[in-house]
Amino acid sequence: MRIAISYPPIINELGQKAMVSQNRNVQFFKEPTYLLPVTYAQAATWLRNEGHDILWDDGNAQLKTYSQWLEDIVSWGPDMIVLESTTPVMKFYWKTIDQLKSRLPKTIVVMTGYHSMRKPEETMQNSSVDIVLRSSNVDFVLQRLVDYIGKNKSWRLTCPLDGLHIRMAGSDYRSTGDFRHVEPLDRSPLVDRDLVQWKNYAYENGNYLQTPGTYATSVIRDCMFGKCTFCRYNGPDLTFSLMSVQRSLDEYEELINRHNVREIFDDSGVWYRGKEAREFAQGIIDRGLHKKGCYFGINTRFEYLDEETIRLMGKANFRFVLLGYEAADDETLQKLNKGYQLQHVENCLKWLTKYGMHPHLTIMVGYYWQTQEQLDKTVSEVKKLMLSGLARTLQVTLCTPLDYTPYHQECIEKDMLLTNDYNDFDMSKLIVKTPIPHDRYYEAVREMYSIAFHPKFIFRQVQFLFNFRKRDWQFLFTYGVRAIRRVRQHVFNLTRNEGVDVLTPVEK
Amino acid sequence: MNALKVNMKKFKVIEVKHKTNHVFCLRTERPDALMKAGQCFNVGVPGMGINREYSMYSGAEVAYLEFLIRYVDDGLVSSQLRNLSSGDFVEIDGPYGIFCIDPQKLQNKFIFICSGTGIAPFHSFVKTYPSLNYQIIHGVRFSNETYDSGDYDSDCYIPCISSNNSGESMRVTDFLRSNPIDKDALIYLCGNRNMIVDSVEILLSQGVNGSQITTEVFF
Repeated sequence: MRIAISYPPIINELGQKAMVSQNRNVQFFKEPTYLLPVTYAQAATWLRNEGHDILWDDGNAQLKTYSQWLEDIVSWGPDMIVLESTTPVMKFYWKTIDQLKSRLPKTIVVMTGYHSMRKPEETMQNSSVDIVLRSSNVDFVLQRLVDYIGKNKSWRLTCPLDGLHIRMAGSDYRSTGDFRHVEPLDRSPLVDRDLVQWKNYAYENGNYLQTPGTYATSVIRDCMFGKCTFCRYNGPDLTFSLMSVQRSLDEYEELINRHNVREIFDDSGVWYRGKEAREFAQGIIDRGLHKKGCYFGINTRFEYLDEETIRLMGKANFRFVLLGYEAADDETLQKLNKGYQLQHVENCLKWLTKYGMHPHLTIMVGYYWQTQEQLDKTVSEVKKLMLSGLARTLQVTLCTPLDYTPYHQECIEKDMLLTNDYNDFDMSKLIVKTPIPHDRYYEAVREMYSIAFHPKFIFRQVQFLFNFRKRDWQFLFTYGVRAIRRVRQHVFNLTRNEGVDVLTPVEK
Repeated sequence: MNALKVNMKKFKVIEVKHKTNHVFCLRTERPDALMKAGQCFNVGVPGMGINREYSMYSGAEVAYLEFLIRYVDDGLVSSQLRNLSSGDFVEIDGPYGIFCIDPQKLQNKFIFICSGTGIAPFHSFVKTYPSLNYQIIHGVRFSNETYDSGDYDSDCYIPCISSNNSGESMRVTDFLRSNPIDKDALIYLCGNRNMIVDSVEILLSQGVNGSQITTEVFF
């Protein structure tokens, strides 16, 4: 079969591009970060390995306009197009699907992604899509599905694979039940870098201190914790699975030795912990990969990594460690089911800093319950952590209910949503009722981002230079300049609706 | 820097009961929280700065909280918890999770498939819902690992012992292959990832629909 895995370019009225790819909260950026959708890249690799003709069709990363993208895919003439979507761009995708189906009526269009996974009927009803695939294990399901379709002409009627909504004819469709497979990750292939044109994603990423950088094939699918209410990795349809340490090490070795990658980030919801984390770090050292000038980065949670593991990671040349620090009050953490205690935050950051890593905090503001006191506490604790050097970078987002996560459901049930127009869910504005005016949250965003320009913060970075670590010099002199540009962009994006009422009223 | 002011979530250890050389039951004071049978908690030793998730072993209504914990070689948290004594403290955060029984489905037949300490949430179910119609298929390596099997009705508990010196050796997957599951039952699986992967494949091949299956994979 000829199969396209496609990301059409989405550009808003300000000329900003929407970043849609696995595990991303869609945001529009003028200077976008191009992130490799890892699971889809594995799917492409797997299908290609099985003899199919694959088009890796990321219109964003390939810098196409929408019409260029559309003409290119129509002229390629695929048998199947696989799309990925999320709440803020659902309406765009429904329109795009109809456009594709009118130009390519025989092509099977498959919709994937966390939003349609939870609301498959909606996409069946609002577009002429052929299949909604209700699993985050897109690679595993596609491999089986393509095989089945290839062998069975009456697949619409007979396909037994679970986790699908299949259009029969017109508005008639059927469900094959919930997806419940627990997949051994080692069965899915490592990403073929050439197939997905990895260099398109190797430079424009604000988190890389050195380029070319790349995303590793994730060692964890979904999340081993999987209980945070705002997160997509939450729900009975998600099953955490893990890749073997040796296999991941093999990939790192190839990325460094064959592709000369200088920074590798594993975007697993949460990376290894405990024994596996230590085994991985030791493996990097044993293979001599820590001396190749390549930095490694991961996502983790507070209270997951102990000092000994962090020490080993430091020795193995880990640098960028991303931690969710959603709020600095226990009540919010409890409501979000975060599963860690604030008293341990400092410890973890101290260990990471002690062993040379650069902790990156991801903060959210604008929960529907967040009071001024809670907001102030978050701002002041974040300031404290940044100015004391315990965290090196941060990113702040407006908490936006998305993809029918438990937080999203909660907002609907408690009548907290100010709009139900999916276009409004693009994280550029607050869309929930809050106990204080929205502008207070926008002010908090500005205040937290402005820490980067605070004399104490800059002084602290200068102090780090005396550790005589290359990364600290790069941080201040290379990354610092780039960061200013990106900080300005973030502040613009997240505060441009300050004082403006732009929401479409809720339709009951 | 000033320490963050937070509510400490420390609870007193009531008892640590060693079931085998590698498995122990930790009983603590009960947190003042609404909990559902089968949920999990983050448990750690005060001051250690790391925690791990453990499913509850006790019923949801009793005055204490129990966890069935396997001591992991090199496992920092489990090794510390194993050495606790009555009167010591642990940090507990939670409950979390949705590996629970929907009260509206209590009349259904349930099949619980597990390995090792993965039996914990099912023990919690059985203790919480005494009239539950269930069958537990429990995979263990040795015959002394059928922890508290007396707590289940004898015809509801099927041990699958893979290294059995005194009888037939059998794995959970062997049992499932030779004893097809009631297709109307609701099936819950908990424990080792490989056991769950293999079991789910067998179940699906026997015509069980994914909508009937709920899983909790241990790390």
